[in-house]
Amino acid sequence: MSEDIEISIFEVVGDPLCVASNDGQKVYDRLAAAFKADRSIVLSFRYVTTLTSAFLNAAIGQLYEAFSEEQIRSRLKVEDIEQEDLALLKRVVDNAKLYFEDPQRFEQVIRETVEDENDDP
Amino acid sequence: MRFSLPRIQHNHTSFDALARLHAQTKEYLFRSVDIDMKATSWFDADMCAAFGAILYSLGENLNMVNLLHIPQSVERILSKNGFLSHYGRVKIPDHWGTTITYQRFDVKDDRYFARYIEDELIHRSEIPKMSRGLVKKFRESIFEIFSNAILHSRTDLGIFSCGQFFPNRNRLDFTVADLGVGIRQNIKNHIGLKLSPEDAIIWATKEFNTTKRGKVPGGLGLKILCEFIDLNGGSIQIVSDAGYWQRKNKKTVTKPLSHPFPGTVVSVEIDTSDRHVYSLASELNADDIF
Repeated sequence: MSEDIEISIFEVVGDPLCVASNDGQKVYDRLAAAFKADRSIVLSFRYVTTLTSAFLNAAIGQLYEAFSEEQIRSRLKVEDIEQEDLALLKRVVDNAKLYFEDPQRFEQVIRETVEDENDDP
Repeated sequence: MRFSLPRIQHNHTSFDALARLHAQTKEYLFRSVDIDMKATSWFDADMCAAFGAILYSLGENLNMVNLLHIPQSVERILSKNGFLSHYGRVKIPDHWGTTITYQRFDVKDDRYFARYIEDELIHRSEIPKMSRGLVKKFRESIFEIFSNAILHSRTDLGIFSCGQFFPNRNRLDFTVADLGVGIRQNIKNHIGLKLSPEDAIIWATKEFNTTKRGKVPGGLGLKILCEFIDLNGGSIQIVSDAGYWQRKNKKTVTKPLSHPFPGTVVSVEIDTSDRHVYSLASELNADDIF
């Protein structure tokens, strides 16, 4: 069985401030390449001090467009991540599932929000 | 051409005055524009971000901007934060360290912006000791605002930021402005919805709503920011197009502006004495995230 690939976000980004979408893309590119090669990944958040949803959407959220939830769940592990950052990651993941699993439902949620606002007195 | 600028504070009236200034000058080319600040008896320093954005757009049309009759107290604060250095004045030392420098960034400057925030807000001895959780949430929020500006503004003119700390009131104000397409136009272009400027801002602050399409999801940044401000007890104002939106004490107020602002402004005020513990009611398991 192949050894897990370790990817350090700090090493990929080169900075503890992981805030930019294009830096998230660099992490995604490595994750996607490993997934395509059927490898399992341990993604380390060590030395990362700040994350944004924009970074995590690009790095991890977009995995749900190319890979199944089962693939991601079985092949990707995270480590050295603070509880607050884990909470943000969880929201990004849940948001991405909704965004990709059922785009029509996502559109419907958007339109309903507007209709609700317009119905308010 | 001469224009009079009133007091500039964080409120609808002042954003309206800045939008009016833009409306009156946006067609100018190769003009000399005098802005008379005799009546500007107060200027909330972080509003330099919004004011600077408008003056920058004037400069883009090769107009010459002259700031005249600036009251001494206003001149002092706008010299300390570096704003007036852009208009021929000298930057003066900020002995009390309460200003957060006015700065313009290109959209590719995200690393540079990150360093600016670290240097100006996080690692300065003058800034009061904030709890670790508050610093983390505040820093995240600022970066969410900047990321939103980069992702959505589609501007080549840059992103403008400025802040001010008020030690006696335990308040820290920080504003980011861009000269981009604005929230309403973004929604129209990408979702096909025609909303009023105020409804467009309401829409953008709801979870799951995003103008992003394609492979990278979006729709969380402003929601996360609002949740933080609600817990912290601060306030947030958003101006985009001719819409004004404010959230304070968990209540939202919207109003129209008399003229469109040429982009989007997000202005936050946080309570630096906040000792809220920004942790979760139940611990998440890293093995059960995906």
